Amino acid sequence: MYRYDEFDHALVRERVEEFSDQVARRASGALTEDEFKPLRLMNGVYLQLHAYMLRVAIPYGTFNSRQMRRLAHIARTYDKGYGHFTTRTNIQYNWPALTDLPSILSDLAEVEMHAIQTSGNCIRNTTTDVFAGAADDEIEDPRPWCEIIRQWSTIHPEFSFLPRKFKIAVIGAEKDRAAIRTHDVGLQIVRGADGGTAFRVFVGGGQGRLPHIGQEIASRVPAADLLAYLTAILRAWNLLGRRDNIHKARIKILVASVGLEAFREEVDKHYATLRHEDLRIPEDEAARIQAYFAPPPFEALPKASAPFDRALLADPDFARFARNNVRRHRQSGYASVVVSLKPVGGVPGDITADQMDAVADLAERYSFDELRAAYEQNLVLPHVKLDEVPALWRALHEVGLATANADLATDVIACPGLDYCSLANARSIPVAQALSKRLADMDYQEKLGPVRINMSGCINACGHHHVGHIGVLGVDRKGEEYYQITVGGSPDEQAALGDIVGKSLPADEVVPAIQRTLDRYLEIRTDGERFIDTVRRVGPDPFRDAIYETLDAANA
Amino acid sequence: MKIVTANRLSDGRVIYAGADNQPVEQLAQASVLDEATAEVVLAEVAARPDVFVNPYLVEVQDHTPSGRDRLKERIRATGPTVGNSLVREPA
Repeated sequence: MYRYDEFDHALVRERVEEFSDQVARRASGALTEDEFKPLRLMNGVYLQLHAYMLRVAIPYGTFNSRQMRRLAHIARTYDKGYGHFTTRTNIQYNWPALTDLPSILSDLAEVEMHAIQTSGNCIRNTTTDVFAGAADDEIEDPRPWCEIIRQWSTIHPEFSFLPRKFKIAVIGAEKDRAAIRTHDVGLQIVRGADGGTAFRVFVGGGQGRLPHIGQEIASRVPAADLLAYLTAILRAWNLLGRRDNIHKARIKILVASVGLEAFREEVDKHYATLRHEDLRIPEDEAARIQAYFAPPPFEALPKASAPFDRALLADPDFARFARNNVRRHRQSGYASVVVSLKPVGGVPGDITADQMDAVADLAERYSFDELRAAYEQNLVLPHVKLDEVPALWRALHEVGLATANADLATDVIACPGLDYCSLANARSIPVAQALSKRLADMDYQEKLGPVRINMSGCINACGHHHVGHIGVLGVDRKGEEYYQITVGGSPDEQAALGDIVGKSLPADEVVPAIQRTLDRYLEIRTDGERFIDTVRRVGPDPFRDAIYETLDAANA
Repeated sequence: MKIVTANRLSDGRVIYAGADNQPVEQLAQASVLDEATAEVVLAEVAARPDVFVNPYLVEVQDHTPSGRDRLKERIRATGPTVGNSLVREPA
């Protein structure tokens, strides 16, 4: 893992001091809310329905047990004993007092954490594959490049007042587990012509009210020129992007309006100059950062594990967990384990302080002290000996974190919705909970196989409903909650936006309609076909019929 | 009829203008005002930014939000309808 150097420490400490002063001036009334708002947003602080909300960055989703324990301490001391993991692999606290924020940020700084650039019109937390450094299909660990992007983008003077926020995601495998094409810029590590590291670059992806899938703007940018190329993209957008209309300010709108070719020309103009300037990443500096992400000291182990295999036979519940939540690892004898934050009837992404402490202990004991926050609002212990997976599972079970539903229908991604968020039109959490209870039967879920269901409480799409295999969007119809359903979205290397199937449904119709959709899939799928494969083969019509079949005309 | 609501500066909690325009936490204690009085009270609390953040008017019948944002206002008044915030109150 990356460790702060003296510059990082000084930067974060100075920011805490600066923001503490700003909070004091706000609390005394010396700063108005209008004056304070941009300052708090630079530090991850929102004002939501019931309280301030603090979003803490987990850079590229990688953290350790000490940091997790500190997150638990914050939840316990300054909040209501829990936190909420987001699709941006950050953690949010829903209840901090304004006057506690300096103490919270100080506590975070002690463990090399902060809330810088988790909001506002800047380059946000760079995200990546949750299995980075562990996946067996990866050509290179993307996290050193995420760290390089973090260092370059943090409080970057040219990019601190962008037209809108800007999100970057990086992957190191063909398989996209970080939804890179829904980002302003998505980067995929590929081999360059010389065999060295290069980046395939996608631009202009994004969700919200005008969703776009990112388009390929460059096929092989040499690694040393990555920052020059990113600067060229940002500069082109910063100069040409709209600032007059918040809804048209994201880079996706610019790329769509001028067209990819014209945008590429603009970028190339800047790149031609920039690539010969000081932005080249020195090889020794890249190597220095890569060294932080060296693989942990794995033991040489056989591929098969007798304790693991015995547990599979002895305990059907463990076997189910192993089928659904345990992932192949590049290192023989090891696995990555998904810790689902989606218990039956729970709030997607929520975790209590006690659970955080328990996961921290388990990461320390079983996973080389490493933890990951996943795009799917789950956690991952990336490097677990197969021999020890049964013991880990038992320990997770004791703290209510062994739900064996990773990537299944109840692994719902959901935003906080109208229960917390001042932007929302409708609640997300109760719908996600009702769905989780309705589909709780694990045999049924396993029969369905992987299905991603995404819930957003408004068109800002924090629950990524556009790219859910089934997406649910909350809308307001004359003061009542209604929900619009999409099918066929996908966040991966075959990224697609879902099709809206028809008119929105009242809240109590949503869950039965989704179950009918899933049942229809079971009827029409061919052997080995996943839900999304069937949708791609037959289109949305059979699912539309299933969704609306029992609704009377007045409702539909 | 209208009530005046805002978030409290110190902790962001939902507050209302109650008797003597003092901040109160319960919707039931909010002063229910006619249109003209509501505007006057809104202006008065807006002049106290050390307590009232982003004040605005909410349409009510008696003490029940009745406008287009009635669900949001009901949730603001009573807290999240679900979830972990219901499990534990702050220490």
